[in-house]
Amino acid sequence: MSPLAETLLEELRAGPRQFAELVDAHRDVKWPAFLKAWGEVRSADVLGRDEDGRYLVKAE
Amino acid sequence: MKKSFRDFLQDLEKAGEMRRIKKPVDLRDVSALVAQSREATLCETLEEYPGWRLAGGLVATRKRLALAVGSHENEVAMRFEEGLDRPIEPIMVGNAPCQEVVVNGKDVDLSAIPYPLMHVRDGGPYISATCVVSKDPEYGRNVGSYRLMYRTPKETGIDLVSPSDMRFYYQRQLERGKPLEIAVAIGVHPFEMLAASYKAPIDMDEFWVAGGLHGAPVPLVKCKSVDLEVPADAELVLEGELLPIGWSADEGPFGEFSHITGDVKWNPIFRVKCITHRRDPIFYLLQMPWENDWLSAPVTEAAGLRALRNASIKPVAIKAPVGSCGYWTLIASIRKRPGEGKNALLALLSVAEVKLAIVTDDDINIHDPDDLDWALTFRVQANRDVIIVEGARGKHVDPSVRAWELGKGGLPTTAKLGIDATIPEGIPKKFYRRLEYYGRDKVKLEDYL
Repeated sequence: MSPLAETLLEELRAGPRQFAELVDAHRDVKWPAFLKAWGEVRSADVLGRDEDGRYLVKAE
Repeated sequence: MKKSFRDFLQDLEKAGEMRRIKKPVDLRDVSALVAQSREATLCETLEEYPGWRLAGGLVATRKRLALAVGSHENEVAMRFEEGLDRPIEPIMVGNAPCQEVVVNGKDVDLSAIPYPLMHVRDGGPYISATCVVSKDPEYGRNVGSYRLMYRTPKETGIDLVSPSDMRFYYQRQLERGKPLEIAVAIGVHPFEMLAASYKAPIDMDEFWVAGGLHGAPVPLVKCKSVDLEVPADAELVLEGELLPIGWSADEGPFGEFSHITGDVKWNPIFRVKCITHRRDPIFYLLQMPWENDWLSAPVTEAAGLRALRNASIKPVAIKAPVGSCGYWTLIASIRKRPGEGKNALLALLSVAEVKLAIVTDDDINIHDPDDLDWALTFRVQANRDVIIVEGARGKHVDPSVRAWELGKGGLPTTAKLGIDATIPEGIPKKFYRRLEYYGRDKVKLEDYL
């Protein structure tokens, strides 16, 4: 997993986030690189959603 | 010769309805830019996406929709109905602009196309301007419009919760344990988008309808990796299959055409096997909600006209107000015979998920809210002229149907309201004679100034 994907996962472990909140936290990252990292996070199959549609890491 | 997406962009420019942005644009900013522009927007340079351009907000007003359709603003539905009445068979071509670049197999990478982030609470970046083609061995080709949420470089979510022919096709494949092949064309003329939005009978090919609207056949080309055909002049095509997993993957929220941030939905996954596009592609961002609503209105209106004519009623005018997203309300004026106010309501309420129908006589200008209010005030008795139908087909994005209480893949129902604002039978027309100013034909204001 890329360092950016690891960082995104850590942020989600810290608490639920809207997708846009994750984007806001990494505006310095180029958009295609962000999308690739997000794809890695989704492929890890550890994400859940809360009732407001925020992403979270399911119990590991 | 049918018009293309690029022809429409040129038409907008000639009409002074296009704004060009020359500075490089970040895909994370593009929706906010399009929202602030009074004109349609063409971003000429996209950061990190050399060679790509992006157009958005193209039909965000009725004026621009009328420009696309080539009619007066209040006659778009009639123009659409003409297209329905004279469908034209598409033609197959060998070489297509949409296949100038082909990316296959392991090279498929959705992060390499300008996938925009549109709204604050969206579950991810979205493609909103799609013309999705699928096929069933028994019922043939279907074309619809479905949003796609980015998941990974090779997968998207797709909103398939509402009843549709493609949902039915998918359900049939699911029962066989097989995927459903689809192809997604992006950057097509508004006529193809309108045809894709129309709920045609299941055995009707929407590309024939698009041909009828153009007055010329839609050129199609065979896809590279699936047994489907797409408009040859599209800007971008995604080919692949809906995985046979049912309604099990999270999708959404998305800023819906109902102006509301939707809920997380459970949907299938679209796995992309091949991407084709022009050498200098223009990505189309369909800006919610207005662009979707203006595209919905003539489709709903044309369906209403058809329903009225099938019920042997003579419609004079029809309107799907954009306040109801061009989808949930139909107002029609008719040349009424006794009892037809109610018949017209029943016909209009049969259209898709329309939940409010109002029928007036032909002396009412339904495009004038004051005239409509006048009819509702003086021609309606609530105990005689209102119809309520319970348990009809509803749509998930309407919060009042409480779709969140349904299980995964569940379909909501709704109540429908009809108001007959025609002059009631038995009331002499003389009671509705409008006041007239004495001397109105002879006296001129300028003679007194």
